[in-house]
Amino acid sequence: MRSSSYSALPARALRVLAVLALAAGAVTALPGPAGAGTDRSATAGTAAARPATAGTAPAAPLAAKPYMGWSSWSMQSSKYPGLNPDGGYSWLTEANVLKQADALAARLKRYGYEYVNIDAGWWRDKAWKPGFDRHGRQQADPVRFPRGMKAVADHVHARGLKAGIYLPVGLEKEAYGDGKVPILDAEGCTTADIVYGDLRTTNGWDSAYKLDFSDPCAQKYVDSQARMFADWGYDFLKLDGVGPGSGKSGDRYDNVADVAAWNKAIAATGRPIHLELSWSLDIGRVADWRKHSQGWRIDTDVECYCNTLVSWENSVDDRWDDAPGWTRHAGPGGWNDLDSLDVGNGGMDGLTKAERQSYATLWAIAKSPLYTGDDLTRLDAYGLSLLTNREVIAVNQGAAPPARPVTPSDPQQVWASRNPDGSRTVALFNLADRPAAVTAHWALLGLTGKAAVRDLWNHENLGTHTDRITQALPAHGSRLFTVTPRGAALTTTGHEAESAANTLSGNASPADCSACSGGRKVGNLYLGGKLTFHKVVVDRPGTYQVKVAYVSGDPRAVEVSANGGGATSHRFPSTGDWGTAETVSVPVTLRAGANTITFDSGSGYAPDIDRIDVPTSS
Amino acid sequence: MDSNPPRRSLLGLAAATGALAALPACTATAAPRRPAASAVPAGDTRHTLWWRAPADGTSMIEQGLPVGNGRLGALAGNDPGRELLLITDATMWTGGLNDTLDADGQFPYGRDDFGSFTLLARLTVELSGHDLSAVSDYRRTLDLARGVVSCSYTRSGVTYRRQIFASRPDDVIVLHFSQSGGGRHTGTVVLEGTHGEGEGVSFGAAFPGGLRYGAAVTAHGSGGRVRVDGTRIAFTDCRDLTVVVSGGTNYKPDAATRYRDPSLDPAHLARTKVRAAAGHLAATLLRTHVADHLDLFEQFDLTLGASTDGQRSLDTWERIRARARDGAPDPELEAAYLQFGRYLTLAGSRGSLPLGLQGLWLDGNDPDWMGDYHTDINLQMNYWLADRAGLPQCFDALTDYCLAQLPSWADLTRRLFDDPRNRYRNSTGKNAGWTVAISTNPHGGNGWWWHPAGNAWLCATLWEHYEYRPSRAYLERIYPLLKGACEFWEARLLTTTPPGETREVLIADSDWSPEHGPLDAKGITYAQELVWALFGQYGTAAAELRRDTGYAETIAGLRERLYLPRVSPKTGRLQEWMSPDDLGETTHRHLSPLVGLFPGDRIRPDGSTPRDVLDGATALLAARGMNSFGWANAWRGACWARLKDAGKAYQLLGNNLRPSTGGTNGTAFNLFDIYEVERGRGIFQIDANLGTPTAMIEMLVQSRPGHVELLPALPGAWADRGSVRGAGVRGGFVLDLSWRHGRPVEATVRSVGGRATTVSYAGTTRGIRLAPGGSVTLRDLAP
Repeated sequence: MRSSSYSALPARALRVLAVLALAAGAVTALPGPAGAGTDRSATAGTAAARPATAGTAPAAPLAAKPYMGWSSWSMQSSKYPGLNPDGGYSWLTEANVLKQADALAARLKRYGYEYVNIDAGWWRDKAWKPGFDRHGRQQADPVRFPRGMKAVADHVHARGLKAGIYLPVGLEKEAYGDGKVPILDAEGCTTADIVYGDLRTTNGWDSAYKLDFSDPCAQKYVDSQARMFADWGYDFLKLDGVGPGSGKSGDRYDNVADVAAWNKAIAATGRPIHLELSWSLDIGRVADWRKHSQGWRIDTDVECYCNTLVSWENSVDDRWDDAPGWTRHAGPGGWNDLDSLDVGNGGMDGLTKAERQSYATLWAIAKSPLYTGDDLTRLDAYGLSLLTNREVIAVNQGAAPPARPVTPSDPQQVWASRNPDGSRTVALFNLADRPAAVTAHWALLGLTGKAAVRDLWNHENLGTHTDRITQALPAHGSRLFTVTPRGAALTTTGHEAESAANTLSGNASPADCSACSGGRKVGNLYLGGKLTFHKVVVDRPGTYQVKVAYVSGDPRAVEVSANGGGATSHRFPSTGDWGTAETVSVPVTLRAGANTITFDSGSGYAPDIDRIDVPTSS
Repeated sequence: MDSNPPRRSLLGLAAATGALAALPACTATAAPRRPAASAVPAGDTRHTLWWRAPADGTSMIEQGLPVGNGRLGALAGNDPGRELLLITDATMWTGGLNDTLDADGQFPYGRDDFGSFTLLARLTVELSGHDLSAVSDYRRTLDLARGVVSCSYTRSGVTYRRQIFASRPDDVIVLHFSQSGGGRHTGTVVLEGTHGEGEGVSFGAAFPGGLRYGAAVTAHGSGGRVRVDGTRIAFTDCRDLTVVVSGGTNYKPDAATRYRDPSLDPAHLARTKVRAAAGHLAATLLRTHVADHLDLFEQFDLTLGASTDGQRSLDTWERIRARARDGAPDPELEAAYLQFGRYLTLAGSRGSLPLGLQGLWLDGNDPDWMGDYHTDINLQMNYWLADRAGLPQCFDALTDYCLAQLPSWADLTRRLFDDPRNRYRNSTGKNAGWTVAISTNPHGGNGWWWHPAGNAWLCATLWEHYEYRPSRAYLERIYPLLKGACEFWEARLLTTTPPGETREVLIADSDWSPEHGPLDAKGITYAQELVWALFGQYGTAAAELRRDTGYAETIAGLRERLYLPRVSPKTGRLQEWMSPDDLGETTHRHLSPLVGLFPGDRIRPDGSTPRDVLDGATALLAARGMNSFGWANAWRGACWARLKDAGKAYQLLGNNLRPSTGGTNGTAFNLFDIYEVERGRGIFQIDANLGTPTAMIEMLVQSRPGHVELLPALPGAWADRGSVRGAGVRGGFVLDLSWRHGRPVEATVRSVGGRATTVSYAGTTRGIRLAPGGSVTLRDLAP
């Protein structure tokens, strides 16, 4: 776990004056994500019911699709030569941001990129000392942004783009001003009223005092900040350090009330402002994040804080493990944010071409917001081709749900999602450090026979393939296909894990599971616990893609074997919690007639098994 | 007696090299035999290994595919967008004579003094737009029969093909890039040295030890433009492209010139060779190469039964993994693994230096143990396969090497073995003949510790080749080696009376049984067995050549008095030391005390060996265990085959076929055997790739002069049906054998110099007599 350097900043209080304001909240509901089954009845704060800002067309609902744009943090946080000559994070200036906005407008806007998001530091000088106005609200650093933040937003808008800004959650310690700073438009409210008496700190860096919303003054403080952004014309806010998450848990770091307050405050401004939460949000509170925001960072920073913007191992590659548990929570109105997509310049990014393509592939199919942190004035040809591939962007922006792994989290993986037209989006990944072949069996997609394959990255039809497609992938490489079925649906024979015909050993035992087929599963598969299915009958010998329905609140490995033969260990991706069943398929070599299939926890902890579905042909 | 050998003897050793056949290092070659223009025969799928992924540039030793013309070799990566060849020359060695001793009387063993086998060059062909992520249907093959590495893929509807081969007739490596469907090749060719020479279309340099080396590349294409662009070759829009590379050193296998040819300019010669080869069409070069390679490859064939369709549908690496996972035999894969060992022999051992620890293939300039010649098993094991598997020509490199080194080995023995600091010096005060250290280099030098029995171990291997291919001329060549080794031991043996016995015996002076236990033990089994064998071989040689009758009688007399190992009353195992106690590691990798079981013939389960010795040897082998390093498993497998335990022999094959992951012992992606040096770090050692096939053949046929045994340890997995064609058998014959249901159907014995032998199956024996060149087919062999 890493966090941005924000935590290292000096804390200093400022005296400000307070004015009281009234908040007006317009609340409306949005449809939930397709098939996600999440309760959206109380969804609030989205743009659908907000009045359009004067001079712009009526706004589309916020986050109907993952947003696209650019963010400043990757370049601010990097030690890449020349980026931050005046010390850490010094890159962030009006001149630099506007250059990026111009480049975005010129090169990427036509592909759907629209947000220009300013990250941490706009109210801090180059020594990282913050500035606040008389009401304890962050104010632009005059050196970085000599014309103030509104001028920046105006410039961005003039290019037909949207402007984004940033805040940490809570009352920054330096804004406290001995508790005497008056809150704007809130008569009688000072900073002392909006925090807890014991000045308990909050957020991922403990850089702020936790707001106490039992006092209405706290909401008014948030309202005053939201009003400020609306007045400046911002369209997007990244609220950072939010817990539970951001490396923190427990009451002090529970910022759900802050997020709700922000949602309410934004609604009250009447301006559609996209609210994005950061970082490593607690999946256990995803209903709250969905209810009050339009996106949430599922992971720590993608940046490496090194001589490049990012690096593969730290922490681009973590996303393959961390995204699956979140998949079903993404949908119109709120998306799983995998962080910046820094694939535009190989040298600056610190990635191979293959890694850059895989990075962009995962972001696209997981339907993460697509915002790059690259220097848009220095995109290389390959980077531009990655960021502007319309077929890939269409996967991200289209109507299909995000893809999930259909294989275990082994070094070679296949992810897939079903498109509205019945075709499948299929991604092959080789996460190993050396080239390897990766096969997508149509059985993984519930298909048999022939299927047409379109290579999206290379804009090429690869013809019709029978039963599977195999491609050689470079180290950390990927392919992205549209697979259009031309054959029959796969037929399978199901076997429930809890069936009395199976053998359990060790601690393994059946348990109730409302999400599971038959309402039961087999759990307690740990430290030698074992589940063996008997009488798995197939007509012909061969390797079968056996679909396993399972429940696992975290990624867990299990050893799968047939007929007492050699076992293969597979790591199953997290299902996000212990009440959700998902499926992956594992290859199992069976002989004609009756077979046994064993799931052995070995020396570790294995997922709970719900059922298996064995194809009737290999 | 003088501690120096008699002058006459030294002269004799030196004169021997005069008869040495000229060894082409990187010398000009005769005009190649070019077969008439005809289609190159299509590859047989049995002999085609294939993969679905190229190598990673940083994992070439496990994923690169080997090519070689016996001297010039390469590992090819086959990435579509970036072909990488790590090029070697067998003589590309740093170091020198290394004729000083460290304070302990042993030899220095560093990369500068003793030296190391190193890379000659690195060749990269970049193809723009051919990134692996952008191409489809990638497939990569190694055609063992034709000696061609190839890969193919499609890009935008165009199918691209690439063929890489190392031609012996043209003495170059050729890369041919072609396509069908209107494609074009654009990119660069970069040749660079690996010792700081930088890149250039040719380069030449020299090591501090004086060895000069160089390499050169050229390229031509059709339909586009190929030009030298500074230090590189740039090609643009070529329909097809041929890249030719060669190189070498001025190594000369002649002690008299200090192993150098001062008149040879390797860079110039390399330029001449690539220019000459580039004057021919790629198809002509390929045809010429395939004819040359196929001739030798086809001298032997093998089938071990049918694999399933499921197994056949898998690529080679998936098959290795599936075999280990499912535990099901894969007879075609196993036969291909044996053929891969033959391929490495053919590609790595022709006309130059012999195969060292890594054969001809490297991925860097710091191979473990210098990639050297280890004389305490590894070098010998590398040559167990050649004669058995129909590649007797490939054995010559070992004989040539030993003969070229002999004057230097004899000189170093004379000057340094009796150094008072050397713990292994003769306590008799005498010093004669020659021996070696555990490691030897090609500069006449030794490395690491003295290895007294190394001479007998080498002679045993050279002698076996004589038994496979009896030839007076060959015997005359190796005679000085045999005699010099006898002289060494005549000076070294000590007289003692073992405890509890009355008869005086001769034992070897202080020595280390490789590579464990006490450092200074007298009469170690390893030495006793090897010297006993050596003295016997010398006696036969002297009689055959009608030479040195008196000396032969002396040696025969010494042989009669040699102590032979006892069985420990404590452990029931054959003793490794003259002690009832196990003084070393019970499961140690080396089987040194079992050298009389394999490859020797002294211990046999046919009633000729005292029961207690046979049981003791069996108990020792069992105690050594079944899980060791690859070469150690190979030796174990051969020993169990000799004991007719097919199950254990086959199990050991399976152990070596386990996929190596994360550096573990086993078989790598490219079928190279991986030796786990330390946890998580594996290296390539070629000995298991050659020793394991040897053990496989020992399961099918065993032989010694006058005796051929059919199917002595046929495992159930191969029993249903199979055949072997062209297997060498000792006594001077070649055998073709087929079997069904575990019993021989037909055996044809052809004489390659032998006149009489017996052929035996399951206790039934038939005697045959043949004139050289004659053959006989036996049926109804099963009782």
